[in-house]
Amino acid sequence: MKLSGIKREQRKFRWLLLSPGLLIIVIFTSVPALTTLSYAFFEWKGFVRGSWAGFENFDRLFSFPFRDQFLMAFRHNILVFIAIMVLQTSLGLLIAYALFNLTRGQRFFRTVTFLPVIFSLVIVGYMWQIMLDPYYGPINLIVGDLGQPTWAKAWLGDTATALPTLVFINLWRWVGFPAIIFLAGLNAISTDYIEAARIDGASEGQIFRKILYPLLAPSMTIITVLTFIGAFEWFDLPYILGGSNGSPAGATDTLALMFYRLSFGSIDSGANEVGVGSALGVIIFTVVGVGAALASKLLRRREVEM
Amino acid sequence: MKLFMSKTFFRGVLIFNASMILIPVAFLLNSSLRETSDFARTPLKLATDPQWSNFASVWQDGNFAIYFKNSVIVTGGSLIVILVCALGAGFVLGRYEFRGHSLIMAFVLSGMLIPAKLMILPLFIQLKWMHLLDSHLGLILVYAAGALPAAIFIMSGFFRTLPADLDNAARIDGASEFQLLRRVLMPLVRPGLAIVAIYSAIPIWNDFFLPLVFLQDPDKKTIMQGLTMFFGQYSSQWGVLFAGLTLAALPLIVLYLILSEQFIKGLTAGAVKG
Amino acid sequence: MKISQRRVRGLVAAAVAASVIAGPVIASMPAQAATELTFWSWRTEDKAFYEEQLGIFKEKTGITVKFTPYVNTEYNAILSTALTAGSGPDVMQIRPYGGMSTLSDAGNFLALSTTDVPALKKMSAGTLAGVQGYLSKKQYGLPYATSVIGVMYNPDLLKEAGIKALPSTYESFLRVLAQVKAKGIIPLGNATGNAPSLEQLHAGVGPTFYGGTQFFNDVVKGTRTFTDKNYVASLQAVKDLVPFMPATPAGVDYNTARGLFANEKAAFYIGGNYEISYFRSLNPSLNVGWMPAPASAPGAKRYATSWADGGFGINAKTKAKPEAIKLLNFLASKDFNQAAADQLGWISTAPYIKITDPAIAKMSKALASQGTPFLNVVGFRFGTPTSSAILQPGFQKLTAGTITAAELAKDVQAAVATWYAPQKGKS
Repeated sequence: MKLSGIKREQRKFRWLLLSPGLLIIVIFTSVPALTTLSYAFFEWKGFVRGSWAGFENFDRLFSFPFRDQFLMAFRHNILVFIAIMVLQTSLGLLIAYALFNLTRGQRFFRTVTFLPVIFSLVIVGYMWQIMLDPYYGPINLIVGDLGQPTWAKAWLGDTATALPTLVFINLWRWVGFPAIIFLAGLNAISTDYIEAARIDGASEGQIFRKILYPLLAPSMTIITVLTFIGAFEWFDLPYILGGSNGSPAGATDTLALMFYRLSFGSIDSGANEVGVGSALGVIIFTVVGVGAALASKLLRRREVEM
Repeated sequence: MKLFMSKTFFRGVLIFNASMILIPVAFLLNSSLRETSDFARTPLKLATDPQWSNFASVWQDGNFAIYFKNSVIVTGGSLIVILVCALGAGFVLGRYEFRGHSLIMAFVLSGMLIPAKLMILPLFIQLKWMHLLDSHLGLILVYAAGALPAAIFIMSGFFRTLPADLDNAARIDGASEFQLLRRVLMPLVRPGLAIVAIYSAIPIWNDFFLPLVFLQDPDKKTIMQGLTMFFGQYSSQWGVLFAGLTLAALPLIVLYLILSEQFIKGLTAGAVKG
Repeated sequence: MKISQRRVRGLVAAAVAASVIAGPVIASMPAQAATELTFWSWRTEDKAFYEEQLGIFKEKTGITVKFTPYVNTEYNAILSTALTAGSGPDVMQIRPYGGMSTLSDAGNFLALSTTDVPALKKMSAGTLAGVQGYLSKKQYGLPYATSVIGVMYNPDLLKEAGIKALPSTYESFLRVLAQVKAKGIIPLGNATGNAPSLEQLHAGVGPTFYGGTQFFNDVVKGTRTFTDKNYVASLQAVKDLVPFMPATPAGVDYNTARGLFANEKAAFYIGGNYEISYFRSLNPSLNVGWMPAPASAPGAKRYATSWADGGFGINAKTKAKPEAIKLLNFLASKDFNQAAADQLGWISTAPYIKITDPAIAKMSKALASQGTPFLNVVGFRFGTPTSSAILQPGFQKLTAGTITAAELAKDVQAAVATWYAPQKGKS
């Protein structure tokens, strides 16, 4: 008798503890997510919903002129993902390994490495915009002083260099993150393995390749998944530096920027296209969800193998 | 090959990395003390004649005092909601097996894939219907919803590591569930709460997008949002612009330098196992 | 320095507690008194002017007005979310023509009557049409000024370059530009970094190529299309001006470009009268001359592109309607408009305003005989995608060399044809 009384009290208490969190998530995440899905199937005039439109919004998204914007933005997201994955991750690993092997001053370098991660992207974006200014920015001035004036360009204004410049700024801001995660992963590896290998006469390179790198697989998984999600939802930096149109000439346009543009309109088009925007939102959700799940599954299998 | 893997090479990497990070920051700080036309002529000079008036301009014209207060309210309020809910949910999900446990866990985790940005319009209309637009409370609830999945995940991890004997011992002593949580377990998961606090607070403090859409009254705006407006207005007054950036970044930088270890642990928490 | 976890928790808890207590206290403070109005605008450049004028308004009526300008590119998004949220300012600047047609059609703006705002009676139908609803034709805004785009020049720099006479034909204009460049002076301050200003550059020189108002009327009616060879030539003209722009024009943004002209580094700037107040804020002693766009041939018509810059409107949900109307009447008054003409370079819609700046006076006089509508703004902003939406990034691509003028024209036509009935099905 007493037992079931406790059981009931326990269960009630547990639900009491669990519900506020669940409720907030349901009301402010799940419901809006489902609503976005539904918006994609209606006609919209400004912010006023019209009649049922079936798949018309998706059709419009994939025809002129939205299709070209969509394909270009999608291409940019893919390029950015690859660039960040390759550059940021390898640099992060390099820095982590360097920190790992450091005997003195680890605390200082670790603190500095991670510093940019706490900056707001607003600050990082504006800061670099001024640094890269073609007339007043120190970067171009230094480059000019070094005697190579042709290298001083309009980094953010030239369609060829705008996106790579954004990737560089993103790198500056984020490289500390994989570095620290890899460092934690390296620190978690039992030193016995490393000692034993050293006694057996293995070189540093062999130790890295045969022991450390494979055991970093879990960290690699997390970083890959997070990078994928971040790359396909990339918004803050392009918005601050290129505006909602992906200036110059759409060279920095991303799927999330296009989504914002469609949802709120832009200075030259006034009107917004909520229906088409929601259709785009559905597509972004799907890509991110499927991609993250796939990446996670594939990489976890690799973890186990390793 | 030997040289490539040598200790000097790695030290060099770290020094290069540190310079790449510190030099722009130093430039930022230095330029915030320069006078605008002076800066326009020689951008790379050291600020020998510090223009503290730049900061005064930012504080007054830029309305920074108000924005700072609003950021504190929004971030602080969100933290309270997040910590309370994550503590409760983490406790339940971390220590008890029951039907639907994995389903709920999967549901919570999937929340991490859905950024508020992509649901901005339904959220906007939903908040309007709930009369939560142009209010800090509405913003707090949306931020909490965004941060809770990771927070619950982290807290449940912490709770799971506590030995089950603690529960039994407490129950034998006649403690209720509530007392068990409060007296016994909570003190032990305090590190987890600190980590969740930092992990959640920083993106909220740094966000400019949600306030842009959900706050209309200029007196309610937060510091990052204020910064974007500030940059639009003072577009060519370099000295003042830099001062604005510095002021906006200063709170977190100071906190970080004091608590760097906690920050690092906190911000990489969701990703590091153990 | 290791700070214990407890300390951290304590600090965090204290900060949080303080803010949670302070928050509701501050929030519960009485809302603004009934005689305070909020006023939003997209002109951050004019903040000081408006605040001074609103101070005068307060002395006269006792009504406090809070003026909040937003960055031009974010204004539409911010205003539309605010209005849809049911909040938003009492009085606001409204974009002309189709710029805010969905907002006005949704009933966000108060329809203005001539009894409320008598100044409306004295304005021409053309002027009033600038701020009317698209579907309903109600008067939603008090048009405040006409904007005119033309060719501004620095007479001192031209003298320095040895230019004795202003070019009246486009051919001689190009020759003058080359002459100026040979003397080491930047001929044209305009650059390609900012898309809307490129569109304005085209609005300045385009009519010379596509034939001004006649073409405008034909495209609006549907008897000609954007792929007309004259229009294509007008697009090409923008590309042909690139050699005369500052070096690496793609990296020169709006403020830097205007700065070049204001700081007397560039001899010409093709833009609107609203730029003059910005020039003067950077360089009060600047001499600015103005001329309409050069003609296509000797004796041919010269054009000054013009359009209603916008209007002032009232939020339909305002709680202070009588005060808002008082404000609108103040904004329509002679004193305010004279001050705006003097300090902001407005070509005001109010009558009997004396324009002291010679360049702006010239623009104002040119309107009657040389005015031609700004094609994209006046005719093609009522649906999406607007012609501007294609042209703005399009000009950047054109000047970068990634598309041709003919291709751009085709894209514009295809875009407009998707929603503009008279052009539907035409290519």
